[in-house]
Amino acid sequence: MSKVQLSNVTKTYPNGAEAVRGVDMEVESGEFIVFVGPSGCGKSTLLRMVAGLESVTDGQIQIDDRLINDVSPADRDVAMVFQNYALYPHMTVHGNMSYGLKNRGMPKQEINAKVVEAAKMLKIEDFLDRQPNQLSGGQRQRVAMGRAIVREPKVFLFDEPLSNLDAKLRVQMRIEIKRLQRRMNVTSIYVTHDQTEAMTLADRLAVINEGKIEQMGAPIELYNNPATLFVASFIGSPQINLLPAMFDGQYLSSGDLKLEGFVDLPQSKELVLGIRPDELRLSDDGQFPMRVDIVEQHGSDNLIYGAILGAEQESDEETEFCFKTSQDMLPELESNLTLGFDVDRALVFHKDTGERLR
Amino acid sequence: MASHDSQYQAVVGKSRLSTAVAHAILVAGLVFLLAPILLIIASSTHSTSTLQLGGLQWLPGDRAIENYARVISFEAGFSDRITPMGMLGNSLIIAIGVAVLTTVLSFLSAYAMVFFRLPCKGFVFWFVMVTLLFPLESRFVNTFGVVVSLGLINTHAAIVLPALAVALGTFFFRQHFLTMPKELIEAATLDGAGPFRFLKDIVVPLSISKAGAIFVIAFMIGWNQFLWPMMISTNDDLYTLVRGIGLIGQESGPGMALVVITILPPFFLLLIFQRWFYKSLSV
Ligand SMILES: Nc1ncnc2c1ncn2[C@@H]1O[C@H](COP(=O)(O)OP(=O)(O)OP(=O)(O)O)[C@@H](O)[C@H]1O
Ligand SMILES: [Mg+2]
Repeated sequence: MSKVQLSNVTKTYPNGAEAVRGVDMEVESGEFIVFVGPSGCGKSTLLRMVAGLESVTDGQIQIDDRLINDVSPADRDVAMVFQNYALYPHMTVHGNMSYGLKNRGMPKQEINAKVVEAAKMLKIEDFLDRQPNQLSGGQRQRVAMGRAIVREPKVFLFDEPLSNLDAKLRVQMRIEIKRLQRRMNVTSIYVTHDQTEAMTLADRLAVINEGKIEQMGAPIELYNNPATLFVASFIGSPQINLLPAMFDGQYLSSGDLKLEGFVDLPQSKELVLGIRPDELRLSDDGQFPMRVDIVEQHGSDNLIYGAILGAEQESDEETEFCFKTSQDMLPELESNLTLGFDVDRALVFHKDTGERLR
Repeated sequence: MASHDSQYQAVVGKSRLSTAVAHAILVAGLVFLLAPILLIIASSTHSTSTLQLGGLQWLPGDRAIENYARVISFEAGFSDRITPMGMLGNSLIIAIGVAVLTTVLSFLSAYAMVFFRLPCKGFVFWFVMVTLLFPLESRFVNTFGVVVSLGLINTHAAIVLPALAVALGTFFFRQHFLTMPKELIEAATLDGAGPFRFLKDIVVPLSISKAGAIFVIAFMIGWNQFLWPMMISTNDDLYTLVRGIGLIGQESGPGMALVVITILPPFFLLLIFQRWFYKSLSV
């Protein structure tokens, strides 16, 4: 049970790359925090600074009110799970899990008890004598987690631990990680760029963009109330539909389309209208004429992709929308649909700053 | 087996004929490489006069026992202090010394270069590599001066130490260490392993087969030394087997027997290490 506190943390790599630019964050005891963001945004760097694997250029990192900027990784009492597992290839599963405890001088019997207990929890007790190359990817990942668990650290750090697994196993492990974390109640920071993982695992989600925290909060809060265009487009799958638009005092217009019901928006500024795919509905008096291009059947629901006719075009491409609907809705390709939306649920952003206006 | 064959052909895309041709080439190569050894072994069973009149012999003769017996009871030098057992001992001391020290030193230097934050790492590495351009033969005179000033003349150390300045092992280990994922170090760091534990618990066990290969190569280098031992030792007690061949006469039956005896230890060493050796070369 430990708090982690980051104050104005910065990281500039020796080559000049500014990977993290001033991050403030408070992680409560037992909380599960997920860092999510596009590739290269600095998620791993931030995590590795907490682990002590990267130096902190500026700012402070505290665990339980103890400043750890200059504490060696081994003495920070954190455990990390890596994407490529990083198991010791020549040691057995037992050896891998006990190595950290052995180095800390724990008596053998105690180590054994802990390893066996963790192995049972992870359902790898039958593999304790095997070497990593005799295990499947999922089993290896369990061992990597076991290695972290036996240490009973103050903080768990995960850097894309499930990225090397196939889709099905990933879902399974995701649930298991959540369950383990609940059970052990250890403060955890988890890096991913899989937004389903982010949404489902996090108590709070930090969306990171170019080395800064764009927004932090409960996943559903970020989904419903994104602070910026970046967060809105990053959170949610399928992605939010975006439409370039301008406000003239009466209508929000995009190309030939004129949308009613918007008030209090800045005039003659470039704006972006955002509508989630599941906020769209089929309606004869709807605002968007759509030409169906692709229908994806996902089982319980269908995703219909198509061009919004008459909408303003970003470059040469037609503005494409995704419409999430039920299983039985199967329009012909190239046919036209009319889609409506609820103005109150629509989001409007400043195009340049990305700031949300309503 | 059939399915294995066809699988192989599917991968390589070769017909049975071209497989046969490939095998023929390999067999020819094998014969070419083995011929000198077979020639020596066969010749070591002939009398000196047969060898001097008819040259080296391809077929076994009838003088094997006499020749090998003569070698074993051979004594030479001032006051007969050069004996086969003495030479064997010297060869072993020198070859094992070179092998052990080369392996340990190149391992440690590569470890430092790869895993420690050294200033001018690149420069240090290339500086070490430059030693490849100066084999022992090219620095005999200077090295001789150094050895004399250290008072090491006529010692095993004098023969072993100069042979250690070979960057090959360092290079080999460095390349191997660079293939280790950096997360391995990071995981070990978080597991509380300092530089020494990381070396002992992770790097050494993962490098054993590479170290075996370096050991064998360095052993051969030490074993086969000829010119340098001759220069630096005036003492009959330091004679090695390789030098002994010259002493006993190459064109003689016992000489051939000594040659055979001389190549045996490296051969057995290779035999013992061969699995490691191939593994480490193929990965
Ligand atoms: N060792 C390094 N030296 C120099 N620059 C680095 C180093 N590691 C990362 N960077 C740079 O820092 C930035 C952030 O990298 P980081 O690895 O934290 O990204 P990430 O968010 O984890 O991305 P990904 O999702 O691809 O893993 C990138 O622009 C990267 O090029
Ligand atoms: Mg990363």
